[in-house]
Amino acid sequence: MKIARSLIAFLFLAATFTYAQKEHALPKELPPYGPLAPVRAPEVKTIQFENGLTVWIVSRSGFPKATVELVVRGGLAADPKDRPGIAEVLANAVTQGTKARTARQIAEQIQAAGGDLSASATRDGIIVSTSVLADEFTQALPVLADVAANASFPDNEVAIAKRNVNDSLRQNEADPTFLANRALAKEIFGDHPYSVVSPTHASIEQTTPTELRQEFARRFQPRQALLIVVGPLSASEAEGAVRKAFESWKAGQGSAVPETPKPEMKFVHSVFLVPRPGSVQTTLGLGFSGPRRRDPDYEAAQTANAVFGGMFGSRLTLNIREDKGYTYSPGSALRTYRQAGFFSTQADVRNAVTGASFNEMTYELNRMATVAPTETEMTQARRFLVGLLAIGLQSGAGLANQLTSYWVDGLPPEEIGKHSERLEKASPEEVAAAARKYFSAARATVTAVGEEKVVKQELEPFGLEVKQVE
Amino acid sequence: MIRRLLLFIFYLSLAALASSAAAQQWAPPTQTKTLSNGLRVIVSEDHSAPTIGICVTYGIGFRLEPEGHTGFAHLFEHMMFEGTPVSPKGVFDQVAESGGGFINGDTRYDFTEYIESASTAALDPLLWLEADRMKTLDFSNKNLENQRNVVEEEVRVNVLNQPYGLFYAIDLPGKAYDTYPNAHNFYGDFKDLDAAKIEDVQSFYEHYYAPNNAVLAIVGDVKTDEIFAKVEKYFGALPQRQVTPKPDLTEKVQTAERRSRQEDKLATLPALAIGYRMPPKTSHESVVAAMTGEILHNGQASRLYQYLVKEKQVATEVQGGVNWPLGTFLEYSGPTLMTSFIIYPANLKGDDVMAAFDAAVESLARTGPKPEELERVRTKMRSDWYDQLEIPVSRASALSHAALLDGDPMRVYSVPDDFNKVTADEVRAFAAKYLVKANRTIIDRVPAPKSASGAQGGQQ
Repeated sequence: MKIARSLIAFLFLAATFTYAQKEHALPKELPPYGPLAPVRAPEVKTIQFENGLTVWIVSRSGFPKATVELVVRGGLAADPKDRPGIAEVLANAVTQGTKARTARQIAEQIQAAGGDLSASATRDGIIVSTSVLADEFTQALPVLADVAANASFPDNEVAIAKRNVNDSLRQNEADPTFLANRALAKEIFGDHPYSVVSPTHASIEQTTPTELRQEFARRFQPRQALLIVVGPLSASEAEGAVRKAFESWKAGQGSAVPETPKPEMKFVHSVFLVPRPGSVQTTLGLGFSGPRRRDPDYEAAQTANAVFGGMFGSRLTLNIREDKGYTYSPGSALRTYRQAGFFSTQADVRNAVTGASFNEMTYELNRMATVAPTETEMTQARRFLVGLLAIGLQSGAGLANQLTSYWVDGLPPEEIGKHSERLEKASPEEVAAAARKYFSAARATVTAVGEEKVVKQELEPFGLEVKQVE
Repeated sequence: MIRRLLLFIFYLSLAALASSAAAQQWAPPTQTKTLSNGLRVIVSEDHSAPTIGICVTYGIGFRLEPEGHTGFAHLFEHMMFEGTPVSPKGVFDQVAESGGGFINGDTRYDFTEYIESASTAALDPLLWLEADRMKTLDFSNKNLENQRNVVEEEVRVNVLNQPYGLFYAIDLPGKAYDTYPNAHNFYGDFKDLDAAKIEDVQSFYEHYYAPNNAVLAIVGDVKTDEIFAKVEKYFGALPQRQVTPKPDLTEKVQTAERRSRQEDKLATLPALAIGYRMPPKTSHESVVAAMTGEILHNGQASRLYQYLVKEKQVATEVQGGVNWPLGTFLEYSGPTLMTSFIIYPANLKGDDVMAAFDAAVESLARTGPKPEELERVRTKMRSDWYDQLEIPVSRASALSHAALLDGDPMRVYSVPDDFNKVTADEVRAFAAKYLVKANRTIIDRVPAPKSASGAQGGQQ
């Protein structure tokens, strides 16, 4: 057993916080910013149990609720090849009964502590979490521990879970954003497991309770799991409760979830059209390569993304929303998994301006790749990203989510401090270099969800091949 | 730095003492003040992070937008981000983002709120900018034209291009109520949005956007006295204005169930929306209503989930509650519904689902909740209630809404005590009186049959 204390230091004291050169003339009377207070980082106590479970505890006074989050390795990317997306069924059914508790008892006992027990599958893991009243924390913890160690997948509950996941897939298939994400993942990841964003109707249908029990045993093992507690409990109090509930979780016997291979991503500059009859908008998306969180230019790329489309004052938003009024919801994001990273930018635009919007999106991508951010853009993006990190840590659940994502990507809790430090340090040259490396329209895979006729008519004039996919 | 930290620990120990005395209360320090121009100000210190949340809530929502101007309150909200004579469009966002944060706005039935979340360093410029747009706006035709387009895209992305198109929030009140303020499409008909003129923006501003019709709440790593002084400095000189009084919003009593059917060309599964009219808002009965709503809808342990999804298997998803999905059970001032939104399997009929739904509701009206069930839901509601008070910007929002709609921001801290006063028999009696067929409206929304070309496209 190893106990370490990690104090994350934030070193922003030297950072200046002033208005940069303006595109907008600022009002003369506008008062200046106040002094920049250093961001206070959480102190994370890390513990390794003998059964292999990693535990991170953050003790915070004040707010009277505790968040507890369990994450295991092995998400959608770990699904058997003939059962794509089964992790979603697994997540749906894992809270629906143990040897000792029925699904209803689990739901009621967690509700009695003030929480809901939610479970979801990501590419790289399955997360089971709840936020409960701190007074009831010790009541809720054994329920979560029971689910983690003893989920039993009763036949009747599996049947209901399968039906619910199947119906939720049918609903998703009516949602243009889901269709766009599914098409993009398929095109850029090819046969790699990261191409799977959800189960298929067939894989749901074929899944048996026995398979779910096998997958559960393979993934829910303490040596490949992290438990996070954030709340107004002393670290020793929280540790005592976690030990009591989780120390008896048996180290697994079976093979562990293997590391997902690093994908060879391919970006084909064509339009992949998902027909959606009745659409009054085209959901336009462009996907292009990007860094993983562990890559050295991650923060520079993230800053470039903020300048391009990741904040309200971004080039894309100012252009296609605030100037041209083509869309309500333009945006761009750097998406990262444990073994891959990529950018995507998207906008839902009315049918008639599909081509005009695509033109502006590619223009802004190319401008990003060729015209370095101004000083104003740099300051705004950097402050925005650091500020957003601080705002994200305001809530216990937000902090737990952030820590979970670090662990899944193979990073320690100290990453919060290091990440913001690197955001502060990313130079205009590094940001411009990242923009040059990634933001080129000609290297983007294009997706369009909408009326087939509209998409073809509006996008074919760009000389791109329009391929119909599902 | 060190003094502040010690002070914080001191506050906490006081809070701990208080909580052992008055069972289960959690009330972070909060103070209020009213300026001479009528602006109400609330400050709640929270030193857990060097951040602030600001909310300005105005006492105008879409319920009062004039006839022929559906969607105008929301379109107007967008215009509040389009600059002032001294602070042109774009400045507010630039200052907020360069100050480590973001800004946003939200329009509801009876209020419109403007929020900022940022580093404490941005406090002064953000307060100044809020005061600046409480003085006047840049009433620009060009910006109106731009935001009209943006809002119409917003309606497309959230309503016209979405399965279900928010029918449980827009169409259901439309069928449940008979008068324009409560029944109209608050997101706006395009012909009305298209007809909006800059003079309308000006007149709406003059009628409703006055300091005496607003509440300003600031939460975060601040000192209360300093904030009151800053607010006086930035907002104190703004003139008070005549605010149009609120008209009578009461509806004639509903006497018969209202049922209708819709086709949805985008949805793949059928769904039901059921709305019961709630009694006028009073301090206690509203709490009983909310608790009844949560017993039926709150999570997997709820009656409707257990009965419809698990036991009868006639639904795959159930959501709802009082004033759902447009706020908490306190965030309105006028008629509201208890709404249920149920997605059900394609091979069933709406009537099959309604039979199970009625059985669940009638059982509650007949025997009321079990004692342990009531306790569970009480605990869950307290826990859920705290969620909105955790981070600065959402606490600022909740405090300002309570001040505006209930006349007392501190209500947000006493609500959990109100939950404790509700008895099982009150829930039973409430369900028996209000959850009856003659008091409800149902919309059954089913996927439209695929047209020939549609089926072809959809088969890919």
